Amino acid sequence: MESWVRFNAQSQSKERLCRAVQYTCTLLGYTLQKGGAASNLLTTVKQLESHLSLSRKLLRLGNSAEALEAAKRAVHLSDSVLRLCITVAHLNRAMYFACDNMLWAGKMGLLPRLDQNKWSLRSFRYYLFALILNLARDAYEIRMLMERESRSASLSKGSLSSSPTTLSPLSPENGDLCPSPSTSLPQVTVHVRKQLHLLAFVLRNNPPLLLDLLKNLCDVFIPLDRLGLYPTGNGWVGACGLASSVLSILTILHPWLKLKP
Amino acid sequence: MESFVKFTNQSQGRDRIFRATQYACALARYLLRNESSRKALLSKLQRLESNMSSGRKLFRLGNTVNSIDAAKRSIQLSEPALCLCLSVAHASRSLYFICDNVLWAKSIGLIRNIDKEWWNLNATRLYFLSLVMNLIRDVYSISQIMMKMSRDRGYRQKAIQHLNESPDVACAVVPELDAFVYLLLESLKSDPSVALDTVKNLCDLFIPLDRLGIYQTNAGVTGLCGLVSSLLGILSVMKPSLKIKP
Repeated sequence: MESWVRFNAQSQSKERLCRAVQYTCTLLGYTLQKGGAASNLLTTVKQLESHLSLSRKLLRLGNSAEALEAAKRAVHLSDSVLRLCITVAHLNRAMYFACDNMLWAGKMGLLPRLDQNKWSLRSFRYYLFALILNLARDAYEIRMLMERESRSASLSKGSLSSSPTTLSPLSPENGDLCPSPSTSLPQVTVHVRKQLHLLAFVLRNNPPLLLDLLKNLCDVFIPLDRLGLYPTGNGWVGACGLASSVLSILTILHPWLKLKP
Repeated sequence: MESFVKFTNQSQGRDRIFRATQYACALARYLLRNESSRKALLSKLQRLESNMSSGRKLFRLGNTVNSIDAAKRSIQLSEPALCLCLSVAHASRSLYFICDNVLWAKSIGLIRNIDKEWWNLNATRLYFLSLVMNLIRDVYSISQIMMKMSRDRGYRQKAIQHLNESPDVACAVVPELDAFVYLLLESLKSDPSVALDTVKNLCDLFIPLDRLGIYQTNAGVTGLCGLVSSLLGILSVMKPSLKIKP
């Protein structure tokens, strides 16, 4: 019960729970429609989904300020690539929340002449940019970790080997792997397999990075579908949204799983 | 901006802001009710108020567990009066949240065949009971502070000085009343969290009193009282020293 009380006290966790239920409703609505369910059940599910969406917009009313604060903090990072990716991602998120607030005001009737479709597309565009930058940051971190791993592996193997015929996957002295035109394809396959091995190793040893990568990959399908760039349908969007919400709830429950910075 | 972000990160902080907005809309609607030229504004206020209310009902969905946890903790308090008041207050609040959740489900359409009026009435009664228990606790805390203060030598000197210096006729005619009021004010000044909680509960009390028909006022009074109590609640979340303990 203690953990629920702590979880409930943060408004971000409530928003994530609402998001999980909202995308469950999307997925449920799609499955029920395909299965030919009763229309009043479909109406109830759709009503719940739109209520959750509007309430989440209400709950997110102050989030632009939060995103701007996060961007201000990210400007002081030492690594230049990380600094660029994270700061611009937060700025895009701030713009996304600002568009979201306008949509809430429009749905409330506070701004009756607002073009909801235009602002909705605008908000999804900012969301997509933010996600692309987050994925670029993930790719950069993975690349750095893979390079570090391969360097440390070659250093340790180089210090242990005493003869040039010792098989070392990353050492270029191995006679079998001498580049020649007739054996280039198997060499490429071996190289790709090694890289995948290294990738799996890096991701297994860095659960926060893996979680963040999966979350961003799931999330990216939502704006891609809504903007019409890669239409997948409500079922896939609902499943991806639910998966990413569950992963972010995990990072709230276990703060060590949150990727830092 | 940092403090705003920290404040809104807490779920209770956001809820207080929404509550303040909700009651501000109710008050504004009451004040503008006779202006026929402002019909569009009135309908906007109505929509904003109902959206805030339904959003808050959604966000309160898990609060039953919170209240049960608070009741469990208050059972372990050493002072019997505090233990009784707070346990009953938290228990009735958790039942109020259950009624609130059922009403939310009805408004969404998840549950259809329930008597909305019955659930509404019982929710208001349980809320009223929790407010009354909180007020009894406030009165008990104030009386404890007053008893402790009256035994304090430094205070007694101040009181004698005040009684001797005061030129009011009333003070001369009813010195005991004046001494009591002075003791009360000094006690409240020494512990502002109790004063804040008392005023907040008193303001909140008008809302169920009006709905249950015990002391009917009007939408303007309930709106104003709700707004004041929400603002005091925001103050107590922003400054944790002003939050009454336990």
